[in-house]
Amino acid sequence: MKLAKYVKFREEKFGGVLFETRSEKVYTLNPAATAVVREIQAGSDAADIPARLKARFRDDGGAIEREAVTFITELRQKGLVED
Amino acid sequence: MASATIGTGTGASASVNTPAATGSGELGAPLYIAWQVTNECNLACLHCIEESGPGKAFHDELSDEQVFAVLKQTLDLDVPYLSFSGGEPMVHPRFFDMVEYVCARNGQLKIETNGHYLEPENCARLKELGVKAVQVSLDGATRETFNRMRVRGDFDRAVQGIRNLRAAGVPIEINFSPTRFNVHEIGAAVDLAAELGAYSFYTGRTMYTGNAVKTWHRMAPSEAQYDDFFKVLHGKTEEYRGRMRVHFHEMGLLEELRYRLQHPAALLIVLPNGLVKLINALPFICGDLRRQTLGEIWGRFQQAWQDPRVAKFVDDLAADPRATSTLHQWVYL
Repeated sequence: MKLAKYVKFREEKFGGVLFETRSEKVYTLNPAATAVVREIQAGSDAADIPARLKARFRDDGGAIEREAVTFITELRQKGLVED
Repeated sequence: MASATIGTGTGASASVNTPAATGSGELGAPLYIAWQVTNECNLACLHCIEESGPGKAFHDELSDEQVFAVLKQTLDLDVPYLSFSGGEPMVHPRFFDMVEYVCARNGQLKIETNGHYLEPENCARLKELGVKAVQVSLDGATRETFNRMRVRGDFDRAVQGIRNLRAAGVPIEINFSPTRFNVHEIGAAVDLAAELGAYSFYTGRTMYTGNAVKTWHRMAPSEAQYDDFFKVLHGKTEEYRGRMRVHFHEMGLLEELRYRLQHPAALLIVLPNGLVKLINALPFICGDLRRQTLGEIWGRFQQAWQDPRVAKFVDDLAADPRATSTLHQWVYL
């Protein structure tokens, strides 16, 4: 999985931004979402990303892990990532 | 402004907006640089907000060395999106070198052109270099209206240029500026854009500045014409949903500027001589790339928007909408 052709990612103090330049939509990311995108950009397997985030962030009740799965699904649905 | 959420919020989440509606406040660099690479143009359009035309290059346009230094800074700051406009950007002697430089460093680049230099070989080169899109100005659906508005312009040549883009596989956007004598063609213009293979169509109200100041009395659409214009556009938006994005600014300039005062866009306008404007529709200069770095200019961008002269200009515009005629009398903040 990788970022789609027209998607640019930049890290910011607050997290990061994804810019889909064809639709000209800007997605402002919180730190956890930024970490997901950073993993995608680094070439991590999508299936491994939730566990990696769980190790990195405090994850009471497994919320981060679940949210990461949901977030990756939505990135796919919105065409922001591609295989 | 459109807003939505992906992710459910407590973990990984993101909010979505347009670049124009994305606040610049907390960003480390602009999201978008709109660069008018030259004021020179092969055409002399009645409505040109930059007063571009043959022989209208600024005497102090950036040197090649300065141009590439600014491009380097832009890409070093990871600015994700640039556009080259003018004037006519394709008449700049280093145009393709500039495109190549940006694309080689994975910058997403849009070219805004009048479409008169889109010969097959140029389109093939733009495709090869990997531009994100080419936006062509097509102010009319017929030769008569287009040629009347775009002095020295040729409708057939622009349309052929767009067809050449399509043949080369370059993503196409179309821009349309309404006037009294082409406004009735908006529906046909949207249809033509779709037929030519555009994926986006942009329009909005024509601004009273630049060449339009001199031609306003015979060019400005009436409010009744604008009412019909936007009604057609709403219909076309639905008609082409999912096939071509019909994007238009119904908001008047004053409303737009009042919004901007509170929410400066993450966008810098770079003029051919390296001066940086707050926004195209204001006369204020917030930096000079010949003397300052892009990072320095961005560092004081928010502060520049808070200068009381900016709010006063917008207030004055409410009293006298024709104050936009002075946009080229730059005010240094």
